[in-house]
Amino acid sequence: MLQTVQIPLLAAMLLGGCVTKLIRALRLGSLDSGLGPTALFPMRLRRPVGLAMSALELGLGLGLIATAGPIGPGAPATCVRLGTGLLFLVATSALLELRAARPDIGCGCFGDFSHSPVGWRTLTRSALLALAALITIGLRPVQQPHSSAAAALLLGMLAAELTVIAGLSPELGEALVRLGYSEPCELRVIPAERTLTALRRSKQWRRHAGLLTADIPADVWRELCWRYLVFPARYGDREAEIVFAVFLRQRRPLIHAAIVDAATGTSLPWAAAPSRARWPGRRGTDGRSAWPTAPDQEPAGGQPAPGPAEPAGPGRRSAALY
Amino acid sequence: MLRARGDRSCCDRCAGAAGGTADAARVARRRLLKDAVFRPQAGLLPESGGWRGRGEGRRHDPAGYPGFGPDSGASAPDPLAGQAGFPDASRLPRAVTGTVLDVSPHVLVLGEPGGRPGSEQRFTLTGRATTWRGFATEPTSLHHGDRAVVRLHPSRRGVADRIWANIGRVTGTIIEHTSDFMVVDEGLTRSRQIVFIPPRAAGRIQVRFPTLQPGYLIDVIGLRGPDALEGLIPATSQPAYPAGQVPEPPLVSGHVPDAISGSATWHEPAGEPPGVLGVAYPALDPETGCAEEQQPGRARSYGRMPYLAVGSSLLVRNDCNGASCVLPVTGCAAVARLFNDRCVTCGTSPRGRVADLTEASFVALGGELDKGCINATITIGR
Repeated sequence: MLQTVQIPLLAAMLLGGCVTKLIRALRLGSLDSGLGPTALFPMRLRRPVGLAMSALELGLGLGLIATAGPIGPGAPATCVRLGTGLLFLVATSALLELRAARPDIGCGCFGDFSHSPVGWRTLTRSALLALAALITIGLRPVQQPHSSAAAALLLGMLAAELTVIAGLSPELGEALVRLGYSEPCELRVIPAERTLTALRRSKQWRRHAGLLTADIPADVWRELCWRYLVFPARYGDREAEIVFAVFLRQRRPLIHAAIVDAATGTSLPWAAAPSRARWPGRRGTDGRSAWPTAPDQEPAGGQPAPGPAEPAGPGRRSAALY
Repeated sequence: MLRARGDRSCCDRCAGAAGGTADAARVARRRLLKDAVFRPQAGLLPESGGWRGRGEGRRHDPAGYPGFGPDSGASAPDPLAGQAGFPDASRLPRAVTGTVLDVSPHVLVLGEPGGRPGSEQRFTLTGRATTWRGFATEPTSLHHGDRAVVRLHPSRRGVADRIWANIGRVTGTIIEHTSDFMVVDEGLTRSRQIVFIPPRAAGRIQVRFPTLQPGYLIDVIGLRGPDALEGLIPATSQPAYPAGQVPEPPLVSGHVPDAISGSATWHEPAGEPPGVLGVAYPALDPETGCAEEQQPGRARSYGRMPYLAVGSSLLVRNDCNGASCVLPVTGCAAVARLFNDRCVTCGTSPRGRVADLTEASFVALGGELDKGCINATITIGR
């Protein structure tokens, strides 16, 4: 029964390794990544070696499944299982070599998840999998358990072995970290188009749109979590510019706005201006003669400004710098 | 990709795309606009000059911004100096760049060939002044026409403390390597460089750069010739990976730290005014339309650094001597971000390059150009 458990386990490991490598190659647009033992090869050989590894994993994984049942018992099954055992034996040796030659890189067994340097856990896992493959040689075609007790025992053994494999897999921790990972806003890539769309939906935009003389920003730049958009405007008979600072988050970004003299760059008080789109019955249409003094701030969509947890500006943590 | 209206044909940080003065004006303008939005404290803004707006007849005036303009060195008044703990740039050693017009055992004359009479600058040479011209030598070994970077004595501004003549640096990806020369790609905004390594320096360089093959990174310092760089000194150790296979940077949770330590290097001016104080930053906003960012399959950066733009301010501190200065971001360090090297000028820095300084900035912070890097900590102005 122990032998029976190994077949799905080995197949899952091989196919999982193949798929994660493929995902990595698609993401990077190249197979020359040199992750894992392929880094031991010269540059010109890394692509073919990487391709061969992935193809071998795919073939053996599918072969293990195909030859597990009544189809293809005997020599084909033995060949596939022997090949799997040899693959893991060679992998163990390669990892030992990698650990000595390039101790800084990971094994690459599961693509992006295998960045941790090769350690004893990775080596042990590879050796155990080789052993698991070798003990399946000569196994008769796998059949369904005859009783629920046998099925439970089989599942229990599978779970226990999975636990052991998980314990020997540094990739598990990496996967858990990625699952719960949220990139800080300072590092997040947010298209400027999205920022502009959010700005144009905001109350700040509607409030000041009457002053703008162009819909296309004269300048756009980003610092940390804020993107700044500058639009040409008219302030009475003077040329002016309105600068919007939009906090980079997906929904309802906080927006600040200020109007400055185009020639001198000095801040100007907001003056009454016809809005392009006023929403009756809402704030800003109550007959006020003047707009709020700069800088005014408001989240897009007319939501009240968030509490202290919401960033009030770029001086969030180090106000001394500005 | 959103494109702002304007005259930016490439992106807003292409060296030389708009000229140093225009870049300086943009930097100053962005600071003013940002301050206008976020209610600056009184006294932090430049009193006069400011920036001139768009349009004909308006002069781009970078006055009031620290260290901008040709040969401003570190002597320009820094509006942030003395505020909130910002170091005063004027207290840093001043760096001067020019062409050697004359040299004697006691006096060095710098200027520009064909410059107007009286524009030369004279510096006193003392016995302690050291000179580099491919190797340590005497100031009298300088030649007429050499391009020199001079660090002045901190307390005696007319005295030359350190001189580098014809120093150059090539940092990039090897494109072609023959028995005679290498062609190195320094990014799309810089022209490709030719490097030849003389036999006397080959062993020294190959110890630190064992893989001089196309696709691998190189960083060498040497003598700048009219057509090529004579590589003499390895500026760092070669990363083990090719330029297109930069290791995955570690994930950053929460907020990125305020201060980031690493290696700070220098670069030759390419379209920048000589003597400009500034820093090329490895993580400019990809949405600004920078040429490198538009490349399909472009190499990723080694480190995860917060996105900034041209005009952002960085407090750069030399961890070796404690000198620090606020510098504007003037460009993108597209190649520097590929390196995961450490600087070992004083101790061992964390991996990765955090800033690529202009020559003047590097010298003003106390760096030795022939050493290649300083252990540095940057703090991002917020």
